[in-house]
Amino acid sequence: MDKISVELTVNRKKYKIKVEPDERLLDTLRERLNFTGVKEGCSIGECGACTVILDGKAVNSCMVYTFQVDSSEVITVKGLEIDGKLDPLQRAFIDYQAVQCGFCTPGMLISARALLNQNPNPNREEIKTAIEGNLCRCTGYKQIIKAIESVVKKDRSE
Amino acid sequence: MLEFEAKKPENLNQLLEILESKKSKIKLLAGGTDLLVEIHNKSDRLKDFDYLVDITSLNELKGIEAKDKYLKVGSLTTHSEIVNSDLIGQEFPILKKAAKTIGSTQIRNRGTVGGNLSNASPAADLITPLIVLDGRVVLKSNKNKRELRLSDFLTGPYQTDLKDNEVMTELKIPFVDSNYYFNFQKVKRRKAVAIARINLAVIAKIKDQIITDIKIAFGSATPTARRFVKMEEYLKNKGINQLDYDLIKDKTGDEMVKITGTRWSTPYKKPVVGNLLKRALQEIIKEVQ
Repeated sequence: MDKISVELTVNRKKYKIKVEPDERLLDTLRERLNFTGVKEGCSIGECGACTVILDGKAVNSCMVYTFQVDSSEVITVKGLEIDGKLDPLQRAFIDYQAVQCGFCTPGMLISARALLNQNPNPNREEIKTAIEGNLCRCTGYKQIIKAIESVVKKDRSE
Repeated sequence: MLEFEAKKPENLNQLLEILESKKSKIKLLAGGTDLLVEIHNKSDRLKDFDYLVDITSLNELKGIEAKDKYLKVGSLTTHSEIVNSDLIGQEFPILKKAAKTIGSTQIRNRGTVGGNLSNASPAADLITPLIVLDGRVVLKSNKNKRELRLSDFLTGPYQTDLKDNEVMTELKIPFVDSNYYFNFQKVKRRKAVAIARINLAVIAKIKDQIITDIKIAFGSATPTARRFVKMEEYLKNKGINQLDYDLIKDKTGDEMVKITGTRWSTPYKKPVVGNLLKRALQEIIKEVQ
C-alpha cells in the first residue's frame, strides 16, 4: 500500500503526516497524534464516542478515512479547552454531574459544541437531535441535557 | 484482509477516466457511513476491490438547484443538506422528513443521497419517497450519460444497474403541483440511529374530497422498495370519507405477501403494512380537512 500525504489542522495546530489508505481519522487522532480523548466505542457509527468536529460539523471519526480529509480542520475534546480555560460546556457537565463513567463524555461534549456553534439558542428537541448519535449507558441523559441547556440559558442572559 | 490503494480524483473527468481504465476493481467512497462499516465488519456483501476512490471533493456532484421542471440534487448532497434545504422543505417536505430519520446527526453530516441510493438497502429511507416522486438518477461514464427511473436503477437488495465504469452524478425530482399531499412513515426499534423495520411513502392528489391520483411505496416489506400498484388502483377515485380501512389493511398485507412470499417476519409485517397505510391516509385526510 502506498502512503498518502495529508495535512490536518487538529485543535488549531497543523500536522503533516503520511497515512495508509485504510487509516481512519479515529486511528490518526488516537494512535498517531495522541489525542486519546477521542474514544473508540462501537467502530460502526452507532455510539458516537469517537465524535469530532470536522470542518465545523460533528462526525464519527470511525467512519472517515484520513486520506479523505486532507486540508481539513478537526476539533477534538482536547481542543475545547483554550489557554487552560474550560469550555462552558465542560464546566456545566461538571456542575450538573453529567459525567459518570466518562466514556461517552468527549463525544457528547463535541456534539453539543457543534450544535451551539451552529445554533447558539437551541430548544430541548434540537439538543436531543444533536446528541441522538451519542450513547450514554450511565446517566440516562437527563443531566447531560440539563447541562447543555444551562449553557444556552447563560448565553441568553449575557 | 482487504488491501487496497486509495485514489482521489480532483474533478469528474479524472474520475471517469479512472473508472474507464480500472473497471471492476474499483469501489467508490463518498460519506463512508455504509462502506466503512462493511469494511470494518468484513461484510459478505462487500466484493473485493483494489482501488478505493474517494469522490467527496468533486464539486460537480454537489448542490441543490431548481430547474425548469425538476429539482436537481447532486449525488454528493448530504442528508443534513437535505434536511436544511429550504427548497426541499418547500417542494418536497416528504424528503426532508425521511432524511431527518436517517441515522444520527453525525451520520447525516457525512452520508450522501448518492450513497444511500447506490447502497440500495431495502430499508433505505430516501428510496421510498423518491420512488413515489418518480425520481430519476443520472449515471455518467466517460462516453455515455443515461437517466434511469429509480425503480429501474434498483435491481435487487443491495444491487443496482450501475455499471463498473459509471458514477451517479445527480438525482432529478420532477416538481408536482400543489394539490398533492405527502406522507412518510417509519417503524423502527428505537427512536434514534435506527434502521427502518418498514418505511412507507405516499403522495396523493385530492380534489373535491376524491383521491384522483395516489402513489404508495413500501421499504423493507419487499426485496427492494417498490410501489404497491394494486392498492393504488383500488384507492384511485375513492372518496376520502368512504374508505373501508379494514379492507385496505387486508389488501395491503395480501399484496406484500404476494410479492415477497411468506417469511419469518410475515406475521408481524403483514398487519403492520396495512396499519401504516391507514395511518398515512388518515394523516393526509386530516391535512385536507
